Amino acid sequence: MRLFALLPLALTIYGATLTPGRKQSNIDSFEYVWTTIRDKHWDKSLDGAEWKAIHDELQPKMEQAGSMEAARRVLNEMIGRLHLTHFGVMPGEVYSELHGGAEGMDVRMIDGRAILVRGKHRGWEVEGVHDTVAKVDKIYEHSTMRELMVSRAIAAWAGAHDVMLSDGHGQSAEPEPSEFASHGEPTTFGNLPTQYVWSEFRQIGNAGYFAFNMFLDPGRLIPALAEGVGECGKCTGFVIDLRGNPGGIGAMAMGMAGFFIQKQGELLGTMQTRDNALKFAINPRVPAFTGKLAVLVDGLSASTSEIFAGGLRDLKRARVFGSPTAGAALPSVIERLPNGDAFQYAIANYVSQGGAVLEGKGVKPDVEIKPIRASLLSGKDDVLESALQWIERPQ
Amino acid sequence: MPILLFALLFFAPDDLPKGEDVLAKFVEVTGGRAAYEQVHGSIAKGTMTMSGQNLKGALTVYESAPAKQVTVVEFPGIGRMEEGTDGNIAWSNSALEGARLKLGDEKAMTLRAANSQAKFLDWKKLYKSVETTGIENVDGKPCYKVVLTPLTGKPDTEYYDKASGLLVRETATVMLPMGEVPVAMTIGGYRKEGDLLMPHTLQQSLAGQKIDISIESVALNPEFPPKRFEPPAEVKALLK
Repeated sequence: MRLFALLPLALTIYGATLTPGRKQSNIDSFEYVWTTIRDKHWDKSLDGAEWKAIHDELQPKMEQAGSMEAARRVLNEMIGRLHLTHFGVMPGEVYSELHGGAEGMDVRMIDGRAILVRGKHRGWEVEGVHDTVAKVDKIYEHSTMRELMVSRAIAAWAGAHDVMLSDGHGQSAEPEPSEFASHGEPTTFGNLPTQYVWSEFRQIGNAGYFAFNMFLDPGRLIPALAEGVGECGKCTGFVIDLRGNPGGIGAMAMGMAGFFIQKQGELLGTMQTRDNALKFAINPRVPAFTGKLAVLVDGLSASTSEIFAGGLRDLKRARVFGSPTAGAALPSVIERLPNGDAFQYAIANYVSQGGAVLEGKGVKPDVEIKPIRASLLSGKDDVLESALQWIERPQ
Repeated sequence: MPILLFALLFFAPDDLPKGEDVLAKFVEVTGGRAAYEQVHGSIAKGTMTMSGQNLKGALTVYESAPAKQVTVVEFPGIGRMEEGTDGNIAWSNSALEGARLKLGDEKAMTLRAANSQAKFLDWKKLYKSVETTGIENVDGKPCYKVVLTPLTGKPDTEYYDKASGLLVRETATVMLPMGEVPVAMTIGGYRKEGDLLMPHTLQQSLAGQKIDISIESVALNPEFPPKRFEPPAEVKALLK
């Protein structure tokens, strides 16, 4: 009896003690992370003595690390010396939980609950995700990317489980399998798997409204925006809805901003790579829309969405509505380390035209409106309504 | 005398061929002046690959002497990207970026690129000076380093294989709205098209991106439709 009682403890100890092979893979991972940052970081001064000193200080700690937890602490301590987000190591099993699944599911954490914000069950809660949310929440607790990563984890969870929904008033529902399937046109771009891209244009009163789910497929999206701007040339205002939009091709921010800028030489911001400073120069389209411009964002608006929203706001061309963005503006790469963990690192820095570094801070809306479950359940869109009211208001 | 100093003296600039002689040698080994003068236009077809992004597109380059050029690239997932010059204006047009006129140094560079035959047959039309400044190894082979300073814009540096006389490498600064971007090109795959020996591979390194261009076919002196070198409607709208 006593023996059995001790077995779980013994297993725990065994599981936490590293085999020589695992220990070596952690040491290899340490060297991989250190070398990658030295060779690929945009700041070439990392070639110098200071970064080498950090290596020499922490390398013995990695050799002594007796558990995966301890090894990750050393890796994250080294990365932490950069004082930058978008750099980090996460356990392999958590990384796997952030990918795939119900990619058409659009969910946000509202008052601690996972609430659907689009589709047939808008405003309904996804039940049973508490453990998944807690695990990812712990890693991203202090990050602006928290909402983005939690949402991804819920979608990934939903792809592997039977989902139940509740409306908070005693009703439950099992969604149709098609409800969370990706929709839109399939598109391929480089190394990315097939993505489904959709866009929507409509005229609401005296304003144009254009929403799209990612900055991909410029051959279809940009003509669709051009058509919308053309149809709405005499509208009072135009709304670009980037809520839930994780970004995509960076150059599309410049190409799309051109529909709203008349002056040559305007910049959204500057990207500093290891060798160059690349200006995100806007190329004005003819004719450009000159009325009011509102951009809608939330915690899932990332990367190119932030470059677009932040840049046009800095140029005093757009007013931004919604909730703060993900602060994930840098082009970053995620690679598997020899020990199976995932290593994320950025390859460039980006400064918006107003001088703000968007990474780790995001774009703070001019008019901050958090989603309210009751509004979603009643079919209201508080953020869009606020933007439309501003457009209708005389200047 | 220290060996290093002796070696430096051995390669003193006075012993180097003149830049214009290096260009003349290139003309000679690639077919000769008469062969160049027989070519008034071409259509080159091939591919452009950005291996880091796993992107590969179809490339077509139309050229008509003295200075007309249109380049079209079609990438899956991005669409059609084109740029060109009719000898007077230089432009680019794509779904991604929209239409724009190239101005200043960027325009001058496009016009020079469209007039590449003049570089070899009558360089003074395009450059203030062409100077050989040294010998450097490219892929282990000694090459003449030739600095070409254009009438407008920043100098280009070209490397001509000392033994074969062929152009094998070029470095330049490309002027773009995004800023000044250094570019390095490795040029190779020389084979005959008509009476001319022409390069068919170009590996570019630009802003950390590797771009491979492979030319699969070249048609010399083709018939062009009358409007082939006119800018597209989107560009014409900018001229109004």
